[in-house]
Amino acid sequence: MTTIRKISDFKMERYLLGELPDVEMRELREREVSDEIFAARVKKMREENDRILAECPFEAVEARLEMAGKSPSPAVGTAFWLKVAAALVVALGIFSAVFMGRDVVTMQSDDASMEVAMADAGDTRIKGLDARMEVWKKTGDSAVQLVNGDEVREGDEIQLRYSVPSRCYGMLVSLDGNGTFTMHMAEGKDPVMLEPGKMTTLPYAYRLDNAPRHETFFLFTSHMRFTFDESNLNALLKNKEVSNVIIELRKPGR
Amino acid sequence: MKVDNQAEQKAFSELYGTYAPMVYRRCLSLLGDDAEAKDMMQDVFLRIYDRKDSLDLSQPSSLLWNTATRLCLNRIRDKKRRGLDVDSSDTLLNIACADDEMDGYEARGLLAKIFSKEQESTRTIAVLHYVDGMTLEETAGMVGLSVSGVRKRLRTLQARIKDLEVKR
Repeated sequence: MTTIRKISDFKMERYLLGELPDVEMRELREREVSDEIFAARVKKMREENDRILAECPFEAVEARLEMAGKSPSPAVGTAFWLKVAAALVVALGIFSAVFMGRDVVTMQSDDASMEVAMADAGDTRIKGLDARMEVWKKTGDSAVQLVNGDEVREGDEIQLRYSVPSRCYGMLVSLDGNGTFTMHMAEGKDPVMLEPGKMTTLPYAYRLDNAPRHETFFLFTSHMRFTFDESNLNALLKNKEVSNVIIELRKPGR
Repeated sequence: MKVDNQAEQKAFSELYGTYAPMVYRRCLSLLGDDAEAKDMMQDVFLRIYDRKDSLDLSQPSSLLWNTATRLCLNRIRDKKRRGLDVDSSDTLLNIACADDEMDGYEARGLLAKIFSKEQESTRTIAVLHYVDGMTLEETAGMVGLSVSGVRKRLRTLQARIKDLEVKR
C-alpha cells in the first residue's frame, strides 16, 4: 500500500519561502501541479501572506519597540543586522514569479552567447541590500550591458535582468518616447512575488520598436502590495513604500 | 524606532516581511485565536530583537519557528494557571504545563545564549515531535541536537507527562 505522509506545516512554510533543498522543492512543485488539494493549500497560504502583512504591518512592531524605548547596542547592532541580511540572502533561493509580457514583440532568449556574456558579468548571489536591474543589448555573438544614457536603436534586442535582496513584490516596466508602457514582469497591473537569490534573467528578450527619443526601464519593489497606474507614474515614483531602479536609454536621430 | 541607521531598519523590516506570515500561522495553530496570534507574532519579533546579540541566524525560519513555539507554550501555560479558557489539544496542554528544567535556566539567566540550538526548551522539542508530527530526525535537525539527544530530552519530559511515548 502506498501512503502519502502529510506535509508538515513547517515544511510547507519552507516550501513557500523557497528554503527547501532542491530535490524537495522540485518534488513539491510537481505536486503543486498535479495535486489539486495541495495546490489549493499553497494558494491559500500565499494569499494569506498578503493579508497578514497588510493587517499587521512592520510599523506596528516598530511602534512597540519605540514604546519600549529599545535601542540597539552600538557594539553589536550593525553586525547583527548585517548577519540578518546575509541570512535572508543565503536562506532563500528560489524564484517563482509569474511572468507576463504584453504589447511587446518578444522572443525566446535562447541565444547562448548572450547568456554567457550576461552570466560572466556577475551571476553571483547579491550581497547588498538594494534591488538591482540590468539592461543588456545583443551585439553580434555577444551582449553588452547598458547603463543610464546609453544609446539604443530600433531593432535592438534587449534582455532584462534583476535581483532583489529579500522576498518582496516586484514589477518591471518600460516607457518609450511615445508614452507607451510595456509590462515586462507583472500580473496585469499588479506586482509579482520575487524571491531573492542570483541575478534572474527574464525568460524573454524583446526588440525595440520605432518609438522616438528614449526607452526607460523601471524596476519597482516593495514589501507591500502596490498597483501600477499608467496615468500616474509619478505617484508610484514618489511612494515611499516602493523602491525603484531606473535606467533610461537614449534613442537619437528622430 | 531606535534602530539607528537605515540599513539596520531595512534588514529588520525585511526579516519581518519575509517571515511574519509563517510566524503568525505558527502562533495561530498553537493558540487557536486570530487576535492572540497576531499579538504573539509581534512578541516573537520583539524577542528576536531583544536577544539579537546571542542569536544563531544560520536558519532564520527554524529560529523563528522555535521561538514562536516556545512563547506560545508559555502563553498557554500562563492562561491555564490563571484559570482562563485554553483552546488547545490535551497533548499540547500537557506539554505546555510540564515542568521543564530548561525554562528554569532561562529564568535564572544562566544561559548566555538562550536561543542557541543546544538550549532549546524540551517542551518545544516535544511539540515538534508530538504535535507537529516531526520524526526524531527532523526534530533533531530543527533544534541542532543529535537524535539520541532529542530522545533523551523527550524521555525526561515523558517521566512527567503520561501518555507521551517517544516515537520513531
